[in-house]
Amino acid sequence: MPRLTEIQSHFRDTVVSNGKTRVGLSLTGGSDPSKRLLIHQRNYQSSLIEALRTKFPATEWLVGTRLLAEAAASFIQEYPPTAPCIAEFGATFPDFLATRVQHVGYVRDFGRLEWFVGKAAIAVDESPLDGSLFSSIDEDSLPDLILTLQSGTHYLNTNWPVDELMVLYLNDTAPDQLELIPCDGCIEIRGARGEFQINRLETGDSIFRQCIFAGLSIGAAAERALDASRCFDPGRALAALLESGLVTAIRQPE
Amino acid sequence: MCPKDIASASSAGARLRNRHSRVAIEMTSSPNTAGIGLRLAHLSEMIATRPSCGWLEVHPENFLANPHAAELLIALSASYPISLHSVGLSIGSATGIDQKHLRRIAELAARVDPVFISGHLAWSVYGNEYLNDLLPLPYETESLEVVVRHVHQVQDVLQRPFLIENPASYVGFQSSTIPEAEFLAQVTGRTGCRLLCDISNVVVSANNLGYDPCAYIDSLPAAEISEMHLGGYTPEPDEATAGAEVFIDTHAAPISQAAWDLYRYALGRIGPRPILIEWDNNLPPLTLLLAEAERAAEIRMEVGHAASY
Repeated sequence: MPRLTEIQSHFRDTVVSNGKTRVGLSLTGGSDPSKRLLIHQRNYQSSLIEALRTKFPATEWLVGTRLLAEAAASFIQEYPPTAPCIAEFGATFPDFLATRVQHVGYVRDFGRLEWFVGKAAIAVDESPLDGSLFSSIDEDSLPDLILTLQSGTHYLNTNWPVDELMVLYLNDTAPDQLELIPCDGCIEIRGARGEFQINRLETGDSIFRQCIFAGLSIGAAAERALDASRCFDPGRALAALLESGLVTAIRQPE
Repeated sequence: MCPKDIASASSAGARLRNRHSRVAIEMTSSPNTAGIGLRLAHLSEMIATRPSCGWLEVHPENFLANPHAAELLIALSASYPISLHSVGLSIGSATGIDQKHLRRIAELAARVDPVFISGHLAWSVYGNEYLNDLLPLPYETESLEVVVRHVHQVQDVLQRPFLIENPASYVGFQSSTIPEAEFLAQVTGRTGCRLLCDISNVVVSANNLGYDPCAYIDSLPAAEISEMHLGGYTPEPDEATAGAEVFIDTHAAPISQAAWDLYRYALGRIGPRPILIEWDNNLPPLTLLLAEAERAAEIRMEVGHAASY
């Protein structure tokens, strides 16, 4: 009698593979039970391809249904989900898709932008920190403080104006033909409770905010931003960050 | 009896006492009415309209990854009894269960205070891969030990009886040595867990594996059943047998007449239990789901069990 791990290994290979049934098991159910395994294979494929299509409708619009579905079918064979919540599945699909749709140079960044938009829209925001709290903080200790941003905040560094492309998709105003011109930049995606915003940031602000997002202190974030942009103004950047409502907490370094 | 046996028997006795006290709590607080499976697409309408409905069941996996939806679910839990029906616990996995996921479910349970937490007699995880389907188990000694061990782990974390649902099966195993209903009875007997009897799954499995659905209902330990399900399935040509049909547990169609008929039969044999209408794909309007729940409640009345809907 095969051990349970052996049986489940057979099943795993059959379910994940495409069109092949690795039988080797004594099954019951109909005259040729091994053909029933195709039902499980189909369940796996159709549910996950549909999950990816649901997460990436704008990317499907960009590359077409056939290309996206073919890439999704390959993706789920090579990279089965590793978490039980399928809503969390697909973060790396844009990278995979980019290897299959090489003629669309910006598909990876566009897909990642869509992923972040989806994450932002299901987030829950907290009450933003009252900026007046900063007036009571000693000026010398301010650089050491660490800020927490809203959970629905994401940053995307890109060489393409994928934010403009997303706006065209969302407004259903894309022309028949469109030529995107590369441009370096950082896009901030934020949102909560079904709503989201996409903002393009200046170089200094983008470095500053991404460093804050990564958990660096205010002072360290400002230094990095100044290194990247001589015209960066730390005071103005901090005030703008507070005014945006993105900061939810402040703490001393451990 | 050696000291080790005495200790083991004492532990089992304590577990049994705990089990009975927990079940008593469960039976007094559970909604013995008709409810619906609530999917994300109906969440906003449910919040806005608050229709009459006995209780709601959700897949925790849909809410753990969606903080906004979880927030709405917690709001709904003030108005409706909520049940958590996991599709990701995979208690039949030979490679173990995901303790992190189990803890996340426990955290959600602490926030919505569910009337039930349930899962399936199936597996979906191999190693660190989630195969997103409910896959079949052979019923023999090794798989019984695996399921019993995992149900204990689940109940230790959740601190309440777990409900196990009978599966919808397309294949069985020649190596099985224990009938499915007896397997379920042994799991309940050894763990103190409860059963979720999915009536439609019985119809599906009986068709696909060739047995009598009424005899299956008769063989279940009725006193251990805390909940019932009804869901739609889809017949299609069976590639395994020329000219035959295989029933696919799609949850994408109205409940079949065969399932309604078996529900009547089960009510007569088992008695009234909280009944849930499941619909996951090709989702109909919320009003249709509620109408199906109302029909389930009416059948209870016809069979002679008072029901509140």
